[in-house]
Amino acid sequence: MTFLVNKVWEKRQMAHWLRLLRSGDHQAFEWFIDKYKETVFLCCRQMGLREDEIEDVASDTFLAAYKGLSRYTGQSDLSTWLWSIAYHKAVSYLRKNRKHWQLEDQVDEQIVDSRQQEPASSIQSEETEKIVWEAVKRLPRLWAITVILHYREQKCVADIAKIMDTRENTVKTYLFRARARLKELLAAAFGADDDGR
Amino acid sequence: MTADRLNEDRFDRMLAQALQRHSEPTPADFTERMITAFKQAEQQRILAGVVLQQRLALAATILLGAVTIIAVVFFPTAVAGGFRTVAEAVGQQAGMWIDRIPQAVETVRSQWQFYAFLAAVFGFAVYSLVDLLLGDRLRIA
Repeated sequence: MTFLVNKVWEKRQMAHWLRLLRSGDHQAFEWFIDKYKETVFLCCRQMGLREDEIEDVASDTFLAAYKGLSRYTGQSDLSTWLWSIAYHKAVSYLRKNRKHWQLEDQVDEQIVDSRQQEPASSIQSEETEKIVWEAVKRLPRLWAITVILHYREQKCVADIAKIMDTRENTVKTYLFRARARLKELLAAAFGADDDGR
Repeated sequence: MTADRLNEDRFDRMLAQALQRHSEPTPADFTERMITAFKQAEQQRILAGVVLQQRLALAATILLGAVTIIAVVFFPTAVAGGFRTVAEAVGQQAGMWIDRIPQAVETVRSQWQFYAFLAAVFGFAVYSLVDLLLGDRLRIA
């Protein structure tokens, strides 16, 4: 019941902010940027942009969102819409500025060094977070983006397919392979005893 | 639920928790800089609208001038005829209005109370308008 009430409240709040955003309210834009800047920076970093390039692409993403808000129909979640813009901005930037750049890269065979990163005593620990992130960073970028969208952003397969402009089956394949690879990497990092945690 | 499935769920939960706890570093003043960029984009949009309006007005003036010159050079009789017709129509209308002036003066003289009231209302409207536009400046002075 509380969950449903929260959902309805969240939806109303979002509709309110959307109205303000469309009217060009600067405070609403401040809220919008503060809420989603981490997401956009994460997408850019995960796509393999350099630190000096990330801010340019993130700015481009927010400016494109600002200009395109009148066309945003509200059919998809606002964060899904913004992810889609950030993802495509990053891809087109990389295509334009990197020679021989390919969207699908190779699997990094290097595994997380378990001697440097001690196994975490609890799944709540910061160490676990660090190890998991290290492992995610070693995934091919499309797998990593899929994992982040699914596990961090709680996006369903259909939404991920929409963001990445691909088929749902492709997303499922990415997720399946990424999980398998992550298990290997994390098993090596945590040690054989903690396998499957 | 099998042991494998249980492990899968635990793995998913651990992954979700670890990824959700992570906070991505962003430049501290990014929001302020973006707001400034939005304001600049807005100003540029308004400026582009004004420039477009001015260009259209200029184009219309040039086009109208060119059409007039072409018409005078190639069809002088038709242009002269057209202007004569317009001048005659305007003259006729002006004559009619001038003829009505004595009648209007007579009406005003017979109903001066009504017109005095209208003048007072008009005066108040002018005062309100001046107060609205220049009131603050006058009060400060």
